[in-house]
Amino acid sequence: MEKILNILQEIRSDIDFQNEKKLIDDGLLDSFDIIQIVSTFNDEFDIEIDVDELMPENFNSVEAMKQLIERLQEEA
Amino acid sequence: MAFVSFPFIILVALTAIVYFLVPKRFQWSVLLVASYVYFWINSEWLVVWLLLTTLITFFTGRCIDIISKKGKAYIADHAEELTAKDRKAYKAKTKKKTKFVMLTGVFLVLGILVCMKYFNFFAGNANLLLTKIGFKLPTFKFLLPLGISFYTLQALAYMIDIYRGKYEADKHIGKFMLFMSYFPQIVQGPIARYNQLANQFYKEHSFDYNRVMQGIQLIVWGWMKKTIIADRIAIPTSEIFDNYTQYSGVMIFLSAAFYGLQVYADFSGGMDIARGVSQIFGIELELNFKQPYFSTSVEDFWRRWHITLGGWMRDYIFYPLSLSKNFGKLSKQSRKIFGDFVGKRLPAFLAMFIVYFLVGFWHGPNWTYIVYGIWNGVFIVMGILLEEVYVKCRQKCGISDVSFTWRMFQIFRTFSIISLGRLFSNAKTLGASLGMFKLMTVKWYDLSALVDGTLTKLGLDTANWIVLAIFVVILLVVDNLHEKGVNIRESIASQNIIFRWIIYYGAILAILIFGMYGPGYDSAGFIYEQF
Repeated sequence: MEKILNILQEIRSDIDFQNEKKLIDDGLLDSFDIIQIVSTFNDEFDIEIDVDELMPENFNSVEAMKQLIERLQEEA
Repeated sequence: MAFVSFPFIILVALTAIVYFLVPKRFQWSVLLVASYVYFWINSEWLVVWLLLTTLITFFTGRCIDIISKKGKAYIADHAEELTAKDRKAYKAKTKKKTKFVMLTGVFLVLGILVCMKYFNFFAGNANLLLTKIGFKLPTFKFLLPLGISFYTLQALAYMIDIYRGKYEADKHIGKFMLFMSYFPQIVQGPIARYNQLANQFYKEHSFDYNRVMQGIQLIVWGWMKKTIIADRIAIPTSEIFDNYTQYSGVMIFLSAAFYGLQVYADFSGGMDIARGVSQIFGIELELNFKQPYFSTSVEDFWRRWHITLGGWMRDYIFYPLSLSKNFGKLSKQSRKIFGDFVGKRLPAFLAMFIVYFLVGFWHGPNWTYIVYGIWNGVFIVMGILLEEVYVKCRQKCGISDVSFTWRMFQIFRTFSIISLGRLFSNAKTLGASLGMFKLMTVKWYDLSALVDGTLTKLGLDTANWIVLAIFVVILLVVDNLHEKGVNIRESIASQNIIFRWIIYYGAILAILIFGMYGPGYDSAGFIYEQF
């Protein structure tokens, strides 16, 4: 979780990732941010986030992102 | 049948009467009949193209669904015999099959659009080279079916979404035909997603007086924007664009700003009518505009302008490109050469350029639109790349980023960039738009046109300019209230009956008195209809 938070803070230091639960629905993260987040997650966690996974429910909160990463690591 | 015309009102009224009289389970069929009647009146036999795209899309979706389900069933039935590796291999095999079906469908549907809308553009450009070696490709005069650019994007999104497993394919051809042809939104959008729109068609809708009145309010507001603002400001705009060599730089800039207002009032007016008509039927269409001229950057503007096209481009072009393996390799290689900052962003920037190239090209087969798209792409990428520089400059100058003046400056800057880009999208040729830019630089300081009466010689007299100014101010006030989260229609609906009807009558009278009409009280066509 801490690693995910650090990555997110590095990309967007102006967002309170710990408390925000609607990062996509409220428009806090834009498509550029998503691409940066996905490519960093792919590198750091050795996963491959497919374009099919780019749904708001997977990126609305840190918890959702953690679940996505864990699921993809299990499936790998 | 024009969207803003009395026959259209009659069609909506008749459809609504039948819609609420028939048993609720048949409501979708009433909308389907109305949609095909509307399409036939506008495009007659070109309806076969709509039917062809609909059938290809429907059966592609069904095929993908059947293959995926068979694949899942096989894995479930053989759960004990298959190892994890086997399951993965079987899933990959199924995915490959569905991908082939999806790509075939996409190729056919996109092929229809490309052949009909873009063939002459490609042939014309190829002929510039081929004539030098004695060849010439033929060109054809295709008549475009109503809304082909819009319904094709809906069809593509549907097939890709089924392939991605977002939802199941529709099993009912009649209901799917309605999704592809729904008459309030086929003309110029909003570009709907199946999972957002189709489910609403299949629900049963009761007559709700408040909802119907709110829909009518939205129609009236859209009608006002279109006939009072857009069709009025179109007159000086056309005059300057058609005869730009006779005008100074400041007038050309004004014409770009006028066109910006015209296209906003025109397109968003059309959206209001589409959403209002849908509300009468109990169907909510997606928002396509969120006060775009309050944007503080070009990127922000494209999040608020033609939102459904932006969303489509994001989900089906930008994300797949940015996350593709080739773009990934490009990122890794460019990180070695340019460092982390540029390397990480390069794929997204490249994808962004492709997106804006396509946004421009989607508008029409003309280089003017392509340059218009690229113009926006360049400013978005520059905005992101130079953001840190801007922040440092602002801090050095002691300017607060939350101050009113800074926000006004940002809004004016964004409006100017977007408006200047429109010199490309609205000019007849690329040469004409470049000529306008040239005049803006060499004759910029000639401001006399603003005070020597030139403005009243552009086709609008003083009274018409005053009417225009008043309604533009009303539009700005309404947008400002929306920006602050005020729901104006609900506020009006909650007023007492006298005040409410004064507003309704006032708005209708304003349309009748101040609207610009052609023969038969028809309004000019919508700008986005031609795309």
